[in-house]
Amino acid sequence: MSAALRKAPLVVPLLLVVLFLALRTDSFLSGGNIENVLVNAAIVAVPGLAMTFCLAMGEFDLSVGSTVSLAAVVCCSAIIDGVPVLLAMLLALLAGALIGLVNGMVVTKLGVTPFIATLATLVIVRGLALAYTDGHDQIVSSPALKYLVGGRPLGVPMPILLAVLATALAWWSINRTRFGRWVCAVGSNREAARVSGLPVDRIRIAIYVLVGTAGGFWGLLIASQLQKGNGQLGLGFELDAITVVVLGGTALLGGRASVLGTVLAAVLIETIRNGLNLLNTPPAYQRISVGLLLIAALALLGLRRRVTAGPATVPAAVKEAVV
Amino acid sequence: MSTDTQTPKPARSAPASRADRAGRPTLGKLWDTWGITAILALLLAATPLVAPDFLEFSNLQSVLRESAYLGIVAAGMTFAIASGAFDLSVGGQLALVSVVTLIGYSAGGTALAVAAAVATGLACGLVNAGLITGLRVPPFVATLGTLFVFRGVAYILTQDGPKTLPYDQIGSPFVKIGGLNVAGIPLPFVIMLVVYGAAWLLLRRTATGRRILSYGSSPAAARFCGISETRIRIFVFALVGVSVGIAALTYITRVWTADGSAQDGFELKVIAAVVLGGTSLKGGKGTLIGTFSAVLLVSVLNDMLVSQGVPSAYQRIVLGCVLIVALTIDGLRTRFAAPGSFRRALSVLVQRPSPVDGA
Repeated sequence: MSAALRKAPLVVPLLLVVLFLALRTDSFLSGGNIENVLVNAAIVAVPGLAMTFCLAMGEFDLSVGSTVSLAAVVCCSAIIDGVPVLLAMLLALLAGALIGLVNGMVVTKLGVTPFIATLATLVIVRGLALAYTDGHDQIVSSPALKYLVGGRPLGVPMPILLAVLATALAWWSINRTRFGRWVCAVGSNREAARVSGLPVDRIRIAIYVLVGTAGGFWGLLIASQLQKGNGQLGLGFELDAITVVVLGGTALLGGRASVLGTVLAAVLIETIRNGLNLLNTPPAYQRISVGLLLIAALALLGLRRRVTAGPATVPAAVKEAVV
Repeated sequence: MSTDTQTPKPARSAPASRADRAGRPTLGKLWDTWGITAILALLLAATPLVAPDFLEFSNLQSVLRESAYLGIVAAGMTFAIASGAFDLSVGGQLALVSVVTLIGYSAGGTALAVAAAVATGLACGLVNAGLITGLRVPPFVATLGTLFVFRGVAYILTQDGPKTLPYDQIGSPFVKIGGLNVAGIPLPFVIMLVVYGAAWLLLRRTATGRRILSYGSSPAAARFCGISETRIRIFVFALVGVSVGIAALTYITRVWTADGSAQDGFELKVIAAVVLGGTSLKGGKGTLIGTFSAVLLVSVLNDMLVSQGVPSAYQRIVLGCVLIVALTIDGLRTRFAAPGSFRRALSVLVQRPSPVDGA
């Protein structure tokens, strides 16, 4: 029990929040509402999982928010131009993958710091999305696209199904495959990984492509929900995705990934958001609560580390010496 | 140039940048400080050909006026990045400080508004510092969290609609902060110059500046030398907060209105300007001259694109590409500056005997 808790400490606050909301509101526990929360959590969780790999590798991708926008724009305008919906969706994913590839190349081959490289693509890609649409909405009315968020194969909402699949896949590849090990190895010490003969550049590029594709997928989900695409979608989403990962317990400096943590964090954040809505709190408090939650989680982590390992932990010192 | 003048002997196997700090200027070192300034000069030299209107006096004035708030915050952020951390919350801080300043102004006039701005900025900075030093939250997460929190508080304070300066206040001394010219130079830019002067002295001429740089280049080593991590963190984040406070004064008296959504994405703009200027995200290296020029470069570029009728969407694309190109050049430079190769060629160029013989 305690081992399970150590692996997924977010279960405790999640249960507390659920308990609180169940007692304080009438509608929280209704089937429709729970499903609503889970669908929203699933939508954040999928890109969050990709971002988990990225942070486990010790890097960030800030360009996700713009990728969301561009993918939605690509998909919607392709549908408007008469491209079959499936192909349009594929194009959007491809656009996301391409952005990821550019990020990966700039980071590995040109040697630009990931933070800055993806910051630049964040700006550029949003510019592309705005330029392509000339600032207008690309409105579609496509039942096939709607199915991505609204469909219920086997009675389960599609996003939840997809998120469960993605979670299983991510968990398996981080914990059970060579690739997952490589990613964590690069994250814990890139130089050591290189010296041991890992194809570090290729691993990094692969992860950026993964995050880009996931960003594209996020864009598809948003386009499916809103039935439109424009250059303003996804503002600030990059920070949402990183928030979920960090809250989930993936180490900020890389080397460790917590797939289940990411998913739980997504559920926790959406539950709180939903609860605040049900309690009629203004949206501003939702932002504050997410911020406070993030700080509290990391503060607890810091306190625990200080209690168990003294002021300067050895791995941290080693890390500083190497970087 | 930054950290250690205590170790005069050129370390044999140390990376070139370390040995560079011994004193004499090299081409690489000059580029570190002045590179972006040179690019800015080139751009300005080209303006008469590309955008003749740019050099009109009123246009120059407005460019300088608009660049001030970004520049002032970037000065503070240079310290944070030089110390190896960065503050993601400045966007939230700017929104919150602006809102509080306007509340202060309507309650007690100019004096209270100015006091409120600086005090709120300082308070925001201290909150960040407290989380980082007291609760041991990593700066990235702490300031990401407070970004949400500060913005959220600004939203709550403006629930009944954005705070604005009433139009009949146009003659008040407070509004003049943004509008006045001193001998033709816009006051916000004068404030920015003063801020940069003070910041340069602080970074280059005081022990505190040196401690910040040494802490940034190696926190572990700095700790062993008796530099207090807590003090550095508190100082740096308070400094960022105060710089936001000052910047907000020049910002709010230009735009006259603020709510929780003011300047969304500001933090990334500021960090981009600092890094473009040549301050390393790895810490230990900070150049205020570079930051200053980078801020002007971005503003000038923006203005030129606008005056050429380039749609704002393409402006983003251009600015993003500039960022990547600048950082690529920097990355290539540091790569070739590794012991041996390119560095020796540079040393020859500036008539300097090479201290490092690549073994």
